[in-house]
Amino acid sequence: MQKTLYLFASGRLRRKDNTICVESEEGTKYFPVTSLRDIVVFGEVDLNKKLLEFMQENEVVLHFFGHYGNYVGSFYPREHYNSGYVILRQAEHYLDPGRRLNLARKFVEGALANILQVLRYYQNRGKDLAPYIEPIACLAGDRLSLCGNIEELMAIEGNARAYYYDSFNIILEGAPFVIKGRSKRPPADPLNALISFGNSLIYTKVLTEIYKTHLDPRIGYLHATNFRRFTLNLDVAEIFKPIFADRVLFTLVGKKMIGSGDFKRHGAAVLLKESGRRLYVKELEDKLQTTFYHRRLKRNVSYQTLIRLELYKLEKHLIGEETYEPFVSRW
Amino acid sequence: MATDIRVIGSFVQAMMICPRQVWLMSRQICPDEDNVFLELGRLIGSHAYGRERKEVHLGHLCLDLVRRGGREFVVGEVKKSSRAREAARMQLAFYLYELREMGIEAEGELLFPEERRRERVVLDAGLIQQVEELKRRIIAVIYRDKPPPPQKIPFCSKCAYAELCWA
Repeated sequence: MQKTLYLFASGRLRRKDNTICVESEEGTKYFPVTSLRDIVVFGEVDLNKKLLEFMQENEVVLHFFGHYGNYVGSFYPREHYNSGYVILRQAEHYLDPGRRLNLARKFVEGALANILQVLRYYQNRGKDLAPYIEPIACLAGDRLSLCGNIEELMAIEGNARAYYYDSFNIILEGAPFVIKGRSKRPPADPLNALISFGNSLIYTKVLTEIYKTHLDPRIGYLHATNFRRFTLNLDVAEIFKPIFADRVLFTLVGKKMIGSGDFKRHGAAVLLKESGRRLYVKELEDKLQTTFYHRRLKRNVSYQTLIRLELYKLEKHLIGEETYEPFVSRW
Repeated sequence: MATDIRVIGSFVQAMMICPRQVWLMSRQICPDEDNVFLELGRLIGSHAYGRERKEVHLGHLCLDLVRRGGREFVVGEVKKSSRAREAARMQLAFYLYELREMGIEAEGELLFPEERRRERVVLDAGLIQQVEELKRRIIAVIYRDKPPPPQKIPFCSKCAYAELCWA
């Protein structure tokens, strides 16, 4: 199983013979290149072209985050799974308004279904979430199927998310944090900081998996494509955000593993400190390594693999083989 | 699809096992390169018979190994195991057939280095007929609009396409 390497400390990332070498104040560490799928860089890291070439040869994706935990960009090595056929199909589905809407709707459908699944889980644990579940279920039902364009889809998703984020206060009753609506640039409170951080990690996770498929990350369906930014990963991440990122958040805050001391204030922004980021990343990685039985593959797969499988499903939809149905968690 | 469809060795091998694989390959939808069995096969292919001539590209053919054997050329095809022996045999027969079309007479040898086994393949009338028939079937699959639906066969368990097929 290939792993993700997270670099928090500042230092130097370089190629040493045929391994990856990380030099920092904490010391020098080596990581076999074949054991790495991607590297997420938070610290101030020096690197050179030789390292990038090495990353390209070994198909390792690099994701960079800024000082405030903001996503800076990725080193997406030259494509190695090239299929002109698939890219043309992907573009064809983007250009045809009907097909595009259909796919975009599936992503929202999947996102809302998974949100409802998370809420039902906590309802079964005695939280009074009916006032949130009902309106979201209503949006996920008729309202979604009647949508005539992408803007309406986005609006419905936004409404549903507004209810959803409000419900965090009920789910996390007794926790020291309260969320007053979603705020992104900048996050106004610790919960918003956690949501933002988690979502950006999920975006990079999906992007890395897209690299391992024949899909082009620049052509998305729900999020506007402008051929400058990766968008397909944003689409697919919608499905996984509730079941990966938000569940990790509930665990960390609910079990009081993370506290006020793991955040810092910077002007109007609340940011995660390194200690908080480490906690989050650890919990997320544990989650992604969790396996469950896949009925069609007839074997156990991890959540990490699940992301790839979702992309394969999308590929099959584009080929015209099998209609895409988003993954909906059952538990 | 492009008008110029050329059958290549790997299509022949795939056709014997799973026509769906042929269709996917023809669209450059390549398998998951991280698959351990693929890596293992590649490793064996590149390390075995290190002293002999390796990987000869001749037009659309990619021959693992070529050497002189008496008067004729001997074309070797290296395989990880004999599990898909019949498929490997047809792949080699296809190479011999194509070489003959180019005016080169050759003999074939299947090589299973891990099993320390070799097997001679000679292109006879029966084999020629099989190759021609196989080529026709391959073209027919490639011309299909959609891939043949996946079918659960014993090879699925170690196939690098399995996740794509059964996702």
